[in-house]
Amino acid sequence: MDHRLLRLNSWIVFLAVVCLLLGFGPCAGSVQAAEKIIKIGTIFPLTGPVATAGQRCQAAVQTAVEVINNKHPEIKVPLAKQAGILGGYKIVLVHADSQGKPDVGKAEAERLINQEGVWALIGSYNSAVSKPASFVAERAKRIFMCGSSSSAALTQRDMKYFFRLAPTDATESVDFVEVLKWLNKKKKAGIRTLGVIYENSEFGKHAALEAKKAAAAGGFKVVADVGFNPGATNLNSEVQTLKKNNPDAVFGAVLGADYSLWVRTMKQANFLPKIIINYCSGYQDPVIAKQLGQDADFFMGSSGYSPQFASLMPAVAAVEKIFKTKTGGVPFDGNSIQEAVAMLVLAQAIEKAKSLDPDKVAKVLHENTWVSPLSLGGKVKFVRGGQNAMAKSIVTQLQGGQYKRIYPEKMADAQIIFPMKPWDKR
Amino acid sequence: MENFVQVLIDGMLSGMIYALVAAGLCLIWGVMDVINFAHGEYLMIAMYVSYWLGFLAGVDPVISMIASGVFIFILGALTYKLIIHYTIGKPPLAALLATFGLAMFLKNICLNRFSPNFLILSDTWLGGKTFQLGGLIIPAPQLAAGILSLLVVGLVYLLINSTRFGWAVQATAMDREAAELMGINTERIYILIFGIGGACVGIAGGIMPSYLAVHPEVGSLFGLIAFICVAMGGFGSIPGAFIAGILVGVVEAIAGFYIAPVFKYIAVFGLYLAVVFLRPRGLFGW
Repeated sequence: MDHRLLRLNSWIVFLAVVCLLLGFGPCAGSVQAAEKIIKIGTIFPLTGPVATAGQRCQAAVQTAVEVINNKHPEIKVPLAKQAGILGGYKIVLVHADSQGKPDVGKAEAERLINQEGVWALIGSYNSAVSKPASFVAERAKRIFMCGSSSSAALTQRDMKYFFRLAPTDATESVDFVEVLKWLNKKKKAGIRTLGVIYENSEFGKHAALEAKKAAAAGGFKVVADVGFNPGATNLNSEVQTLKKNNPDAVFGAVLGADYSLWVRTMKQANFLPKIIINYCSGYQDPVIAKQLGQDADFFMGSSGYSPQFASLMPAVAAVEKIFKTKTGGVPFDGNSIQEAVAMLVLAQAIEKAKSLDPDKVAKVLHENTWVSPLSLGGKVKFVRGGQNAMAKSIVTQLQGGQYKRIYPEKMADAQIIFPMKPWDKR
Repeated sequence: MENFVQVLIDGMLSGMIYALVAAGLCLIWGVMDVINFAHGEYLMIAMYVSYWLGFLAGVDPVISMIASGVFIFILGALTYKLIIHYTIGKPPLAALLATFGLAMFLKNICLNRFSPNFLILSDTWLGGKTFQLGGLIIPAPQLAAGILSLLVVGLVYLLINSTRFGWAVQATAMDREAAELMGINTERIYILIFGIGGACVGIAGGIMPSYLAVHPEVGSLFGLIAFICVAMGGFGSIPGAFIAGILVGVVEAIAGFYIAPVFKYIAVFGLYLAVVFLRPRGLFGW
């Protein structure tokens, strides 16, 4: 071999060894001491039929990071008054797009952990994605903060590094049934039968299961069980099935573009039950509500936040101001705000643990109650399995394009309009 | 009985849309033996054209579908001139992969320009309107799309079977070299066929924003169903694609209503497999 080439090779090997020793190699840790940064990965559906929701969730995490990394004395949330955590560490986000697909989400979780070397993950909006992505995180002993996925199954796995902020569809189902009972008592509504429409996914199937359980416990008969494949070209047979069975009430777990198609198809088929209550779905998306106009009115759903909750959560306004700069003026919704809370609570835990050992931080997350002015409950407390036991939501109704608080009554700011106004009388 | 008729009507109306989307694909496939993987993306772009004309200029989809048709005609002709032209005479896989690349390109352009957000056109002339026949409800946007489908597919059929241009197309489809020896400008035929195929799906996409949200993924399932219609109907048979489209729509609606909504696409793809096994050349193929 040429002498000069041999010497060059020796230099390359030497430099490679130096790089590895300094921590610039492929196995470099996520916590880079020299730069004092903590890499956190986000996985949301940034493309696909629920992309609007995913993009807002990502913007919410970015907003929280901006609050954590910089001094914001005007913001009344923990860590806002200081810059960074652990004496100057800044959080750096690495984003990934799940497309709303479990396999893609899982692959992205693996990439973020193995190639990007993130210290923890936040995501993934779709329960179907959160499930495999959090398995990847658990195996790698990385904390997975789940803001808005609502499938109760996620926190029934007894995982050590998984933490979920949002209420589950199990608790929401019980709340919805309580609303029906309240209407029967208060308005003599005569609601006896229930229909369930849901997308055929982890989220939808589990929501339907919990709905049927809660309905049976509450004495309601489920007369229509309508699952459908997300991204369908039409929802005619789904709506015709509901119409044929004519339930008094319908619980919906329909996301994104499918939600608008469902509403429009019901209008075409001239079908409306007395009441429709939605899980975390297209109903909570303020953009869809605006685009559907009057057709979106009188539908109901649970929500952890909407701009109409401002009087209950005064700390949100200053944070929302930053959020709006990232979303073109769109405010927080019940899902995106949970992702911001997930980031803020994780940062608080790191600060309290005074360590970047995932085991220590996970332990601290489990053992403490966290102040959370961006949560409806005001506090966050994780119980076994990682569920936030203090997660709360309010049942709202869209009236004139505004989310009005309806139930529980003590938190209401408007009277329920019941039954839903027929399509031709709007 | 009323339920059955309602489901049948819904299925036929959906099927006519599938048929219109499939007709364009069938034409290109039949004449040029090119599988256009970007067909679903043509539909998506037509929907965007119609949406933006409605949103920015207040033009209703009933009018803007003409602009969508013209736009996709031009896009189709350009696709041939700039891409497919260079794959003629090469292995068939070349054209297939080229159109696959085009599909990805178009989808990502729309993702980049319009974001993945879904867009809904409000207050259209047909949006939410219905006709009632006794207890039966016929949605106006789907009815208009169905009538349009009949008209366009009928016109294309007449164009191919009853005009000098159509005979030239048939001659080109049978034997390109012989057609050229007879003085037919086959290059021009190919450009026009790609354009007309595009226009069919462009018109279908143009009217769809009356009832369907627009987003970069919207064309994917329609494109897939169009392939099934063409394969089921028989490659190159426009009446075959039309009937297969209606059959797909009706099977989808009946299976969705009488078995379970989640079963509707299983039934459609099951039917497709059955046809492929029992009659590989398709229902009307030769």
